[in-house]
Amino acid sequence: MTKATHFNEREQQICLVARMIEDGRTYWVGGAGSPLASILLAKKRYAPTATYVTEDGVIAPEPALPFDPLMSMVSAEAGYRALQWVSMNLVGFHAQTGFMDYGIINALQVDSYGNINSTAIGDYEGEHRRFGGPGGGDSIAALCWRTIVMTDQQKRKFVPRVDFISSPGFLDGSPSAREAAGLPRDTGPWRVVTPWAVFDYDDNRHLRLTGVSPFVTVEQVLAEMDFEPAMADKIETLDTPSDEDLVLLRSELDVRGQITDVSRWIELRDGRFVFAEQG
Amino acid sequence: MRILAEGQGEYLKPDPDGYREWVRDHKSRALTPKLMGEKEAIDKFVQDGDYLVYECTYLQRGPSSLIRELIRQRKKDLWLCAKFTWVTAAMLVAAGCVSKMDVGFFLFGPIVGSAVREGRLKIYEYSNVVMTNRIMAGSMGIPFIALRSFGGTDGFKHSGAKIIEDPYTGQPTLIVPALNPDVALIHVQQADVYGNARIFGTGASDRESALASRKVILSAEEIIDTDEIRRDPGRTTIPYYAVDAVVHAPFGSLPGAVQGYYGADVVHLMEIVASTLLGQMDPYLQKWVYGVDSHQDMLDKQMGEAKLLELQKRMKISEGYRP
Repeated sequence: MTKATHFNEREQQICLVARMIEDGRTYWVGGAGSPLASILLAKKRYAPTATYVTEDGVIAPEPALPFDPLMSMVSAEAGYRALQWVSMNLVGFHAQTGFMDYGIINALQVDSYGNINSTAIGDYEGEHRRFGGPGGGDSIAALCWRTIVMTDQQKRKFVPRVDFISSPGFLDGSPSAREAAGLPRDTGPWRVVTPWAVFDYDDNRHLRLTGVSPFVTVEQVLAEMDFEPAMADKIETLDTPSDEDLVLLRSELDVRGQITDVSRWIELRDGRFVFAEQG
Repeated sequence: MRILAEGQGEYLKPDPDGYREWVRDHKSRALTPKLMGEKEAIDKFVQDGDYLVYECTYLQRGPSSLIRELIRQRKKDLWLCAKFTWVTAAMLVAAGCVSKMDVGFFLFGPIVGSAVREGRLKIYEYSNVVMTNRIMAGSMGIPFIALRSFGGTDGFKHSGAKIIEDPYTGQPTLIVPALNPDVALIHVQQADVYGNARIFGTGASDRESALASRKVILSAEEIIDTDEIRRDPGRTTIPYYAVDAVVHAPFGSLPGAVQGYYGADVVHLMEIVASTLLGQMDPYLQKWVYGVDSHQDMLDKQMGEAKLLELQKRMKISEGYRP
């Protein structure tokens, strides 16, 4: 395995999530984009016996890649060589009965208790910018045992309290807030992964920084958050993509660059990973 | 039963007995041919003010030809089940067809934004699975269904959900009202003239919507013999007595794909997605909807045989999609 010397932020984020995927576990993957690319990369490189399901009810496919744009659900390619085809209700019931170990979802905005906003930025009752809604994210975040959230390291995306809870984290952070809201016991947020950093949650269900990518400092990460996270005793330096990871990502998983196109590039210069000069 | 919290959103009131009576009085139990054209089906079975559900999306095995006909007939004041939908919500809002929307997920853009701001459109918040659970309850003939998601969200406050103390476990439990839409539009791969239908592959809530909705219009890629249905009954997704109209619509999901039949028209998809994101739907509607008389006219004028053949060839996967 050769460490890559040139990759972009999104590729870094997808590789971070891919290396978290465990063999023999089930993943409910929200929508497409980075969450789907992460599990597919993991299955090819790190955890071949990990299994995933999609919101429209594809169970454990071996998809025919690459997909046409926007054709990651209810498509022959996405459902290819699955073990079963069901429906949105049934796949929801699979999660509701506890069969889904992990969920992976993208988030527009996340807060210190892992709540997710994908509905509206601003005052929902007044001036706000509207977005598409939770889709399947609410069910994934409610019903999987552990939820991995992917978002960007930006101050407006890490807020003390999201403007609108579309999908539940630890809600107000009190010990049994989720159970009081009718959600299943022992479920909830597990990791937040950005291109720059990885977070888990401390015993008070507060977001905690555990690692940063080698091309940024802890200070840079904190400067791109609108609240102070808890800090792990030791902040790990995160691994970077290998050439093998990138070949797969670029030649099979994201051929058209739809997922990875819009982010900054990183290069190895004088033995250190740094942001590439803007051309 | 103690109610611990409740959302303030308006919702279509569940009425299981009313629905049963509708079924008794309106759904034919006889094997009656229901094949008709899209014009007649939409005219007869979609009324202004109806609650509308459609299955899948404009991108993927959706009833796109029926949606376009509904817009051509300028239906108004619909209440839309906007679960797992992309551009269709914006198309229907731009065309002035919709006044209320229960949202799971849709591709948001300026069209829906300005309709909400100007008070022409009311939005109620759910999630995809919460909406398909509501339809499932409607298809079961029960007044509400309990589920383990959606609690604690802000969507809850803008919905018809409640949290109750479950009388069996004593635990806080979320319930949502059953949904029996007035009309369902569903695109299937194969159907016979009576409405026995086969759907191959995944989807959102095809079976549930067909059983939960007062009026059900199917569009089908292929009309097949009832003998073929009887040869392999395990493959029947929807039984004839749930169905009110069957429309033969080859390429009926275009620009979307139909698994096993044809690939998506990607250029067309980009056109509708851009129209939605830019908030400029009129040129799109003019070209693809108002500017043609019918689905067949659209295929003739805007697609042509060579293009259709090419899309068929793009569908290389047939495993699981052909009996």
